[in-house]
Amino acid sequence: MKPKTSGKSDGRKWHGTVLGVLLVYLFLPVAGTLLFSLARQWQDGILPDGYTLQWYGSIFTDGRFLAAVGRTLLVGVITVIVTLALMVPVIFVLNVYFPKWERLLQISVLLPFAFPPVVSAIGLIKMYSSGPVAITGTVWILIGVYFIMIQPFIYQSVRNSLSTINAKDLVEAAEMLGASRMAAFRRVILPNILPGTLVASLLSFSMIFGEFVMSRMLVGGQFETVQMYLYNQMNTSGQAASAVVVTYFALILVLSGLVLKLGAWKPKGYRSAQVEEE
Amino acid sequence: MSYVRIENINKSYQQQKVLNDISFSIEEGQFLTLLGPSGCGKSTLLRAIAGLNEIDSGSISVGDRNITALPSKERQIGMVFQSYALFPNMTVFENIAFGLKMDKMKKSEYTPLVEEMIALIDLKGKENRYPAQLSGGQQQRVALARSLVKRPKVLLLDEPLSALDAQIRRSLRTEIRLLQKRLKMTTIFVTHDQEEALTVSDRIIIMNQGRIEQEGSPEDIYTHPASEFVARFIGSYNVLKRSDIGLDSLPDTELFAVRPEVISIAPLAEAPVAELGTATIEGKVEQLYILGNVIRFTVSAGGLDILVDALNNSTVHRIQEGMDVRLFLPADKCEPLRQ
Repeated sequence: MKPKTSGKSDGRKWHGTVLGVLLVYLFLPVAGTLLFSLARQWQDGILPDGYTLQWYGSIFTDGRFLAAVGRTLLVGVITVIVTLALMVPVIFVLNVYFPKWERLLQISVLLPFAFPPVVSAIGLIKMYSSGPVAITGTVWILIGVYFIMIQPFIYQSVRNSLSTINAKDLVEAAEMLGASRMAAFRRVILPNILPGTLVASLLSFSMIFGEFVMSRMLVGGQFETVQMYLYNQMNTSGQAASAVVVTYFALILVLSGLVLKLGAWKPKGYRSAQVEEE
Repeated sequence: MSYVRIENINKSYQQQKVLNDISFSIEEGQFLTLLGPSGCGKSTLLRAIAGLNEIDSGSISVGDRNITALPSKERQIGMVFQSYALFPNMTVFENIAFGLKMDKMKKSEYTPLVEEMIALIDLKGKENRYPAQLSGGQQQRVALARSLVKRPKVLLLDEPLSALDAQIRRSLRTEIRLLQKRLKMTTIFVTHDQEEALTVSDRIIIMNQGRIEQEGSPEDIYTHPASEFVARFIGSYNVLKRSDIGLDSLPDTELFAVRPEVISIAPLAEAPVAELGTATIEGKVEQLYILGNVIRFTVSAGGLDILVDALNNSTVHRIQEGMDVRLFLPADKCEPLRQ
């Protein structure tokens, strides 16, 4: 018996070591960045010479930073709202009334994954820098591109929610009870797909918040987003840039927390207590 | 004039005919069952009556109204789905009240109606439960109440019991039948379960490949199957050829259905001589099952497997598997079949 126990504890140690190394690998850069953003000076030595909040002070009093945050929030919110408003009804109609055509939507939604962002960006610049829709360098091209980028997340989540609740039967039952298609959608379908849709929206939003390639290539300095601001800061002050990264990280952490919480949240009807026995 | 009239309904999907010139009628307050195997068109027909499937031609009337071109919500027809289709975000009360709210009824008007329904389906005290908190049987009763509360002219039930286990299915089908009789609700019930159809219906329509095979009372259908399909589908009938029976006094058709319980069995060694008008077939007992008060024998005779049901008493206890036996088939119990 003895050797077995020691083998077990050896195994546990080994697991612990691997986990420890992984955590260090993942969090060391974040810890380093946090420390750097709090450092007064950090030239020679394992730890900084002193600590200060001046870099946070400087970015939070910098009008440019706040404006960049505002712009990113604006682009994110508008894109998510527009995508939801257009995609949810389309997915619903295809799923319930024209399931044959859903395949087409599936393919079109997955297409963006086939193109690397740089390739897409070059194509978009060529397409939209002149001609009737010359929107390169404006916020509109960014909203358009982000719409395409977040489509797969919204599509997948709404579609899964619709399949889970057996949307076709629910709509037909509502219609048989005298509801119009619109009323069936609003009163029966929407409340039931809300949690999944909210999670997808938050995920999409945080993705937009961290997006750099498209905003750098399509609008550059003309519409400075948080990521663009960060990029510019890195050329001037490393510590201020670290403070931006830590702020961004904290924000994403809050958003992820919300996603997890919402993911576990269920509408009233799904909070099942004990199921009745016959 | 009949209350519900279905006339010459045709429907095809991609050149395949799923409903082929279907016509029948239902009297007010009658319980009609559409019975048939999967894919026979019974659910398509029910959905066409509900207005959920379009038809290529034909007409549907309820009372003196032709409803063929009306959308579902204007047909005054209630429907209970196989999947229950209860709204998961609404309580029992809200689910049942939904249709009345859609009719723009005030809360003070619909509350007593909903409460009456809840009492009728015996779910008092569970008004505020959500569907996920109810058992399958309770959910199906809520679905039934949700349709009935609007007092539809016709109630459609699309395999409402198939997702439930056997015991609950039996008790719920009796409950549905009692409720239907009490409310005198004209009902069309779709099922593929023969026993279910025979137990609850006033009339049965048997469908096969988009056509009506036979129509009649449960007793009629069971005792006089009209075709080989019905005989095989409705019960464990033996379908025998004229030459297998070998009696001259049989009606002039080629195929006959013989119920297992009308055939007598005796060990060959001690078998009596056949009476006039009774055919005899000799064979060997291949299998023997005791089904409670009945023993079922499978007798192999000249390439045929014939089922025989005998009462479980001491006279048949002597018959064992592998024994040579003689079977007696009275000619008047051989039902001629259309081919």
